[in-house]
Amino acid sequence: MDVNAFLDGFAVAVEPTNLMYCLIGVLVGMLIGVLPGLGPAATIAILLPITYNVEPVSAIIMLAGIYYGAQYGGTITSVLLRLPGEASSVVTVFDGFALAKQGKAGTALGIAAIGSFVGATIAIVGMTLLAPVVASFALDFGPPEYAALALLGVLLVATVGNGNMIKALIAAAIGLLLATVGRDSFTGASRFTFDSLELSDGIDFVVVAMGLFGVGEILHNLEQRHGKVQAPAPVANVWPSRGELKQSSGAIGRGSVIGFFLGVLPGGGAVMASLVAYAAEKKRAKDPSRFGRGAIEGVAAPESANNAAATSSFIPLLTIGIPANASMAILFGALLVLGVTPGPALVDERPDVFWGVINSMYIGNIMLLVLSIPLVGVFVRVLRVRPAILAPITALITILGVYTIRNSVFDIFVMITFGIIGYLMKKAGFEPGPLVLAFVLGILVESSIRRSLLIFGGDPTGFVTRPISGTILAFLVLVILLPLLRKLLARRTRPGGPSGPASPTTPEREESLR
Amino acid sequence: MASHRTTISLAGAATAATLLLSACGGVSTSTGGDDGGSYPSGTVEMYVGADPGGSSDLISRQVSTGLSDALDASFPVINASGANGALAAAEVASAEPDGSTIAVQNASLFAITPLAVSEDEVTSIEDFEVVGGVSRDDYVLVTNADSEYQTIEDLEGADSLKYGTTGVGTGSQVAQALLFGDLGVEATDVPFDGGAPALTAVLGGQVDAAALQIGEAVENIEAGKLTPLTVFGPERVESLPDVETATEQGLEVEVAQYRFLTVPAGTPQDVIDTLAGGLEETFATEEYQAFNEQNNLAPLEVSGDEIVTMLEEDGQRYADLLDEYGISLGSAS
Repeated sequence: MDVNAFLDGFAVAVEPTNLMYCLIGVLVGMLIGVLPGLGPAATIAILLPITYNVEPVSAIIMLAGIYYGAQYGGTITSVLLRLPGEASSVVTVFDGFALAKQGKAGTALGIAAIGSFVGATIAIVGMTLLAPVVASFALDFGPPEYAALALLGVLLVATVGNGNMIKALIAAAIGLLLATVGRDSFTGASRFTFDSLELSDGIDFVVVAMGLFGVGEILHNLEQRHGKVQAPAPVANVWPSRGELKQSSGAIGRGSVIGFFLGVLPGGGAVMASLVAYAAEKKRAKDPSRFGRGAIEGVAAPESANNAAATSSFIPLLTIGIPANASMAILFGALLVLGVTPGPALVDERPDVFWGVINSMYIGNIMLLVLSIPLVGVFVRVLRVRPAILAPITALITILGVYTIRNSVFDIFVMITFGIIGYLMKKAGFEPGPLVLAFVLGILVESSIRRSLLIFGGDPTGFVTRPISGTILAFLVLVILLPLLRKLLARRTRPGGPSGPASPTTPEREESLR
Repeated sequence: MASHRTTISLAGAATAATLLLSACGGVSTSTGGDDGGSYPSGTVEMYVGADPGGSSDLISRQVSTGLSDALDASFPVINASGANGALAAAEVASAEPDGSTIAVQNASLFAITPLAVSEDEVTSIEDFEVVGGVSRDDYVLVTNADSEYQTIEDLEGADSLKYGTTGVGTGSQVAQALLFGDLGVEATDVPFDGGAPALTAVLGGQVDAAALQIGEAVENIEAGKLTPLTVFGPERVESLPDVETATEQGLEVEVAQYRFLTVPAGTPQDVIDTLAGGLEETFATEEYQAFNEQNNLAPLEVSGDEIVTMLEEDGQRYADLLDEYGISLGSAS
C-alpha cells in the first residue's frame, strides 16, 4: 500500500467542499433509508444528473454517502416500526422491535449506531490493508460456493427468532416456494405467474417484507386494541448503559469481521453476513432463549455486520470493476459518466478517487455517529405518538415505499395480500422472519445449484470436491450433527445410567426438550 | 405536546422527501396532441423497462435530458422494470396515442425474447410507431487471460465448453449460441443474472467464455485480465480497434443490442416528426456524444422504418439459424 497516496486521499476527503458533499450524502441517505421502497439505488440514479457539474471525487463521495447512510436509516424503521427496508436488516427486527416494545428503543438504536460505526470502521481499515487479497477471494466464489453458502443460510434461518423450530421450518419452506414465482431464469418458462406479466420477474423482497412485517403488525395491533385497552410501553431516551455496551462489544467485533468478509461477495453477501452474525451470537450465548425477546447482541451483531458488508462491497467495484449490488452498479455508471472507469487500474490511474472515496467513508461514518446520537432521542419519540396516528402513517410509508420500487399499483395489492397473510401467521404463532429470509435465499439457492450443475455437466460430486464449497458443506453438516451428538453424549454421561432410578423418565424428558 | 409535534413533523419530512424524489417519476399531467402544432405542451412520461442504473436506464435519462432541452418540455423518466421490458412496453402500448407517453425500447424484447418465452408473452412491434434509432450496444466475446482459449481457433478445437450469458433471451445468449453452433463445438449455456455476475464468473474461471457488453468488459480487457476474441456487431468497436468482428472471422454471427424511441401505434405524424427533430438535436449535442463515448455506445441514428426492418430481419435470421443448429433458447419457445 502506498502511504503517500493514502494520506493524499485523506487530504482530498477533508477538503471543505468534499466534507459538505459527504454530509449531504449521509443525510439524504439516512432520510431515504427510513423509507422502505425508495432504496439507495433509485436515489443515486435520480440524483446522478445533478452531479455532472461537480468534481468527480466530490460526486462519488456524496453518492457513496447516500449508500452507507441509507444502511443506518433502515435500522431506524426496523427497530421502531418493524419495517425492514432491506433484506440485510430483517434479522435486526427480531430483537430490535422486541427491545422497542419494552421501551428500550433508544438502547437498540444507540447500539445499532455504535455497531454500525465500528463495523464500517473495521471494514474500512480492512479495505485499506486487504483490498487486493479480498478481491481475489470474491473471484474464487463461483456458483457452487454460493449454493453451499445459501444452503447454510437457509439452515440458519430456522434458528433465528424465538418461535419453535418446526414452525420456523414451515415458514421457511413457504418462503422457498414463493421464491420460485416468476419467469424461470434458465428456460424462460413462466412459473406460478397466472399469466400475469407483473409477476414475471417474481415478487420483490420489499413487497413481501413490508406486507408480512409492516401491514401484518398494523392489523394485529388494531385487533388487540379492540380487544382490550393496552398501556403503551414507557419510552425512555436511554443511551445504552455501560453494562449493555460491554455485553455487546464482542458481538459488534465478531459481526464486523463476518460482515467484512461476506460483504465482498456480490449478490446476497450482506444478507448472509447479518444472518451468520446473528446465528453466531445465538450459538455463543449462555441463554439462547433471550434471542428474539430483546437480546441486545441480537441487534449489535447483524447491524455491525451489514454495515461492514456495505463498506466492503466497494472492494469488488473499485478493484475489479464488478458491482456487488444494485447501488454499486449505479455508482459504476456514475463513475463512468464522470470519466472514471472503475477496475483494476483505478488505484494507479486515479489514486485521488480511490483513496479519496475510501477515506471519505471514515469521515462519513463519524458524521453518521455524531448525527445519530442526538437523533436517536428524536426518533424514539415516534413511539409516543398515539397508535391511532402512528398506524396510518406506517401504512402510508409502506404503500408509498412499495409503489416507488417500480411505479406499480399491482405491487401495492400484492403487499396488502401479504399483510393479511402476515396477520394470519401471527395469529397462528408463525414468525414472518424465516419466511422472508428463506424467500431471499431461495432465489440464490435455486439459481446457484442449477448453475453449478450446468458447470459440472450434471455431476453433483463437484460440490464436495471444490475446496471452498466442500468446506462450507462440511461445516453445514457439522451444524446439523453437533446438537444431535451433544444430545447423545448427554444421554450417555447422565449420572445413574440405564440402571439408575432416573432412567424411566429420561426418554420423556428428552422428548419434551425437543 | 411538543414531542408530538416533533414526531409528526419528522414523519412529514420523510414523506415529503419521498414525494419530492418520486415526483420525478410520479406526476402525470397529460399533454394532448389535439392542438396539433403545440406538442409538447406539458409533461411527457418516458417509460423505461429496466431498473435505475443499467445502460437502458442511463440512455433513457440522457435522451430525456436532450429532449427536454430541445423541445422545451419536461420528460420525466419512469422505471417500470420487469419481463425484459415487456411491462414498460405494455404501459406505452396502452397509453393515449398523443405523444404524452414515450419510451426508448430495446431490440432484444422484439427480436430475441420471442425466441425464449411462450407466445402470449411476446411483445409485438406493431403496437408501436418507431420514431427513430438511438444507439447500439455491442457484445464482445471474452475469455480469462490465463485460460487455454485465446483465439477463436482455440475454441474450435475444444471438445466441451461452458459459456456464461447475461441471461435467457439476451443478445449475449443468442450471439454465443450462434457462434458455437457455427463452430460446431459442443458448449453448455450457463445463464447469469446480468453482466456483472457473468463477468465475475469468467474472471474467476467458473466458465470458459462469456459475451459481455463492451462497457462491462473493457476495463478488464485493458488491464490484461480478459482476452477479447471477437465482437458480434456489424463493424469493429471504437474502443477495441484490433478485435475483429465475427463476420470478419468468417462466422455467420451478427448480434447487437440496439435501442430506439417509440410511441403508441396511432400517434399523429406531426407528433412523431417533432420528436424525431428533438432526437436529432439531442444527438448533435456535445454532451450526448460524450455520453455515448464514455459508455461505449455506437450511434444508430437511423429512421424508424429502418429500425422496424432491422427488427424483423434480425428476429427471422436468429430463428432460422437457431433452427438450423437445433438450439432452443428456452424450453417455453
